[in-house]
Amino acid sequence: MTVEELSRIANRLRLDVVETVHLAGDGHPGPCMSIADIMAVLFFEEMKLDPANPRWPERDRFVLSKGHACPILYAALARKGYFPLEELKGLRSLGSFLQGHPDMNKIPGVDTVSGSLGNGVAIGLGMALGCRMQGIENYVYAIVGDGEEEEGIIWEAAMAAAKFKAGNLIVFADLNNHQSGGKVTELSSLYPVADKWNAFHWHVQEIDGHDITQIQAAIAEAKKVTDKPSLIACKTVKGKNIPYMEDNNAWHKRVPTDEEVEIAREALKDKI
Amino acid sequence: MALKSTREAAMLAIQELAREDEKIVIVSPDAVAAARATKFREEFPDRVIEVGIAEQDAVDLAAGLATTGMKPIVVSYAGFLTMRACEMIRTFIAYPGLNVKLIGLNGGMLGGEREGVTHQFYEDIGILRSMPGVKIITPADGQQAYFAAKAMMEQEGPCYLRLGSGREPEVFPDGTPFTFGKVREVKNYGNDVAIFASGFIMDRAIAALDELHEAGINGTLVDVSTIKPMDSEGVAAVLSRCGCAVTVEDHNIYGALGDAICEVACRLNPCRVLRVGLQDKYPRSGKAAELLDAYGLAVKDIVAAAREAMK
Repeated sequence: MTVEELSRIANRLRLDVVETVHLAGDGHPGPCMSIADIMAVLFFEEMKLDPANPRWPERDRFVLSKGHACPILYAALARKGYFPLEELKGLRSLGSFLQGHPDMNKIPGVDTVSGSLGNGVAIGLGMALGCRMQGIENYVYAIVGDGEEEEGIIWEAAMAAAKFKAGNLIVFADLNNHQSGGKVTELSSLYPVADKWNAFHWHVQEIDGHDITQIQAAIAEAKKVTDKPSLIACKTVKGKNIPYMEDNNAWHKRVPTDEEVEIAREALKDKI
Repeated sequence: MALKSTREAAMLAIQELAREDEKIVIVSPDAVAAARATKFREEFPDRVIEVGIAEQDAVDLAAGLATTGMKPIVVSYAGFLTMRACEMIRTFIAYPGLNVKLIGLNGGMLGGEREGVTHQFYEDIGILRSMPGVKIITPADGQQAYFAAKAMMEQEGPCYLRLGSGREPEVFPDGTPFTFGKVREVKNYGNDVAIFASGFIMDRAIAALDELHEAGINGTLVDVSTIKPMDSEGVAAVLSRCGCAVTVEDHNIYGALGDAICEVACRLNPCRVLRVGLQDKYPRSGKAAELLDAYGLAVKDIVAAAREAMK
């Protein structure tokens, strides 16, 4: 798939999120936009998956540690063929299987529960070790937000993953510098993020999280490192490519109006 | 069977099972020695995942392992496991129903005794009992722990096994059966009062029953070794015969055996039930027997509760 095709998929997923949250009347659109390009590369190029057999043991695994960004995960799964697109509008409704945060038993293609922040690295490490112990040659990909790296368990897992030389674990840090309550740089002393993962003995790369080519290259590089887990620190923009959402934390959790949906469609119409 | 304690016994059983099932792994937040799993580690060095002092990581990591079909057992001190990693157990193991087993060590006042409140755990069962989908087993002695560990591994999904610290006496003769999910009558002198006991204070419950018998009160002692799912019908049958009951456990009186029996009584056989256990307070450091005596678990406390229940 070409870089342009992947970029168009990323924007298609972004618009899916806007439309889904609009129809559902609830959800977190802003946090989806900063990871759209990473999601496009992972789900539409990189990951070894079989939508007809979601629990295929040999598959790559995916952990959306920042589970509140699940509208974009659900959009990616629907467009991969795990379930019909029209199911997206049921998001967060009682009759739908699309839970407010990812549920591994209700939603085909979801590999773990997530949404309680900070847990994705530890769960991903368990998956990576479990696959390795059973001789499965695959990769476990996780996306963690920057805000959730304030949780202590992130660093417990970081220590363990380095100890176990989990070369099959590749974690993307979505560094949009926003969290529910404001700027990460104002709420904590997390930044600089990459330094900390380096100090925990991970293989660390720093990229532009909206540059498809850089995402692809970083994954290829991470795969060459077999004796360390990989952290790909992605500089991103919360709300990316949706004009009124960009770098605007009011869209952490907010429902677009009819008019705002139209603005998003207009902004993306030539990019899809 | 010469088993020194519930920890040795349970780990022996798990080691035996691990020889037949290579998916069994132990996840340890620096608890291999405490869990008496050093022999397991010698035999299966690649099947002990030591994460260091990090209970939350251990539980989440086990959840991840289980999604791949492995059968992880997380071993740790009962309170560090169920309190420090409480949310991880609930959200990432119990909610998806993953096949992760949890072993809580040093349960109760007896388990922590001289260490003091930080290492005495009398909330673990209450915490886990409130989580849908978690089974809970509390064997009374080493031999029971051996069979309880095997029974746990036969269960699909989350299951918690509460063990002691090596101070728990052997109370049952060789060959005493262990049946998951069923209560068992230990001694039946008559139907004056029912004593439901759980875990490694069984010796005190037996002593109390015998003392009551010598005083002309003939009761029935029931071992409740599975706290969840509760054998409601088995409990109700005893309540129906006796008409009053005492519960005995090394746990706070809220949340565990006492509450579970009261719930059955309310629902199926209303009658008086008095709860012997830690009376909703924090104890202090002390030698095991003295501590239990000082904080509501003396034989005389059980006897007094039985007499009161019969009024």
